[in-house]
Amino acid sequence: MWSLFFTILSPTYGWQPLMQSVRHGSKAVTRHRKPMHILKQKLMAITEYIPPKPSTPPGALIPRARPVQEENGLVLLLKKELQTIFQECKMIAVIQNNSINSEDMLHLKHRLRKHSITIKFIPNQVIRSFLADSPYINMGPLFIGPTVLFVSKEPKVKEMLLSLRTSPQMILLGACVEKTLLSRQGVLNYAKLPSVTMVQGELVSGLTMLTSRTASLIRRPPAHLSLLLQQYLKQQAGDASAETTPGDSPADA
Amino acid sequence: MLSLMKSALIGLTNTGTSTAVGFQGLVRNRLKILSAGMNTYDVPPDYSDVVLPERPKLKFMNKVPNFKKAKKEMKKLRDIQGPALTANTFTRGQYGIVALGGGYLHFGHMEMMRLTINRKMNPRTTFACWRINAPYKPVTRKGLGQRMGGGKGAIDHYVTPVKCGRIIVEVGGRLELAEVEPVLKEVAKKLPFPAKVVSRESLATMQQEQKDKEQNNQNPWTFQRIARGNMLGIRKVLSPFDLHNHGKYTGKFYDSRRV
Repeated sequence: MWSLFFTILSPTYGWQPLMQSVRHGSKAVTRHRKPMHILKQKLMAITEYIPPKPSTPPGALIPRARPVQEENGLVLLLKKELQTIFQECKMIAVIQNNSINSEDMLHLKHRLRKHSITIKFIPNQVIRSFLADSPYINMGPLFIGPTVLFVSKEPKVKEMLLSLRTSPQMILLGACVEKTLLSRQGVLNYAKLPSVTMVQGELVSGLTMLTSRTASLIRRPPAHLSLLLQQYLKQQAGDASAETTPGDSPADA
Repeated sequence: MLSLMKSALIGLTNTGTSTAVGFQGLVRNRLKILSAGMNTYDVPPDYSDVVLPERPKLKFMNKVPNFKKAKKEMKKLRDIQGPALTANTFTRGQYGIVALGGGYLHFGHMEMMRLTINRKMNPRTTFACWRINAPYKPVTRKGLGQRMGGGKGAIDHYVTPVKCGRIIVEVGGRLELAEVEPVLKEVAKKLPFPAKVVSRESLATMQQEQKDKEQNNQNPWTFQRIARGNMLGIRKVLSPFDLHNHGKYTGKFYDSRRV
């Protein structure tokens, strides 16, 4: 504003009348305001009152302290249950529950029960607050939306997948099998693995085959030598008997 | 006393309890339905130091001053220009009408004020007094149908000049503002200049606000600074009054937004 004032006033910029007539005569009319001189108008415009900026209200800058909520008994109980689950169970699968109806749920429960797998309904909030303090913190992102836990003391992944196949509402998200976090694909791969006894049997058979083979390999040159010697003896005897009578051939080892 | 009251209460009503109704009321009116709750009233203001004058009403004012020889005067518009330096604070009353611009009051205005306020006020608890003088400034007019010329006209009537900030009428006594505010408002809007009903406190706050505004003004370019320093020769278009009033007053008009 002041700069505008300056540019208009200064002689180098703009044009200004050389003389301006200001009436000094009769001031008899008091009903209205006298017209103000243009320079005075400008002066009044730039000298207007500017109020100070309102200071920030006292509570605006300090973050509001949230009251610490006491955990109620149910939450504590559920947390204790989770603690035991994570300690004792070897398979904890996280399943998304897409509004399965109660009848299907009953069937599924029954089927899982045959393999001693139980279904746990625990609120996500409780699970997340439990996981935050536990080493399984990386399981946290699985617990979004309606989720249930399939829990069993033995890692019966194959049986679980079989029973899940009949209920398409339940979708496997991931699992923690024998303290290892597995994705959905990981769980499927895990299920394709043969059982431990079978693998052990295979291993044992492989190992025994190797030793038997080595033994046979080691035994082979002396056997061959003995065979040759026997053949030689036979031939010698044959030469002798050819003169007299032919003998019996020796049995092979 | 308390146990007696309790037994009386139990005897009267088995349902509900009372804290507001006293024992006397119970005895007098046995069938009264008791209601729970208690009213707490504000402490009424203390009017023990208020002394009413002998004549509490507004006095009649002379229409014409008692001069031996009336003299014609010039207009002298200075007497309504700028702020009032006299009679701008309360003396006896608590409530009043303050002028927010200059102007002339004539006898008719004063009669209007006197009659309205005297009619509406209670002379036993209230008093009112003038803070302006009776009309003393002569205003001349030429008679009707007269040709121009022939010198100054005859004195037509007398007026009282009032400057901005002057208190016109004061009201006081054993009363609160709400009791007289409607009357004073009615009077104030009929005056020939902008006027406002104020109490002692509100007038003080108005003045304080103005002072605060002057102190807290964030504009570095103040009227006073530019006019005093005669920046860019601005004094050429400013009057000597502007040096004192900083553009707050133009003639009889007052701009309350300026500092």
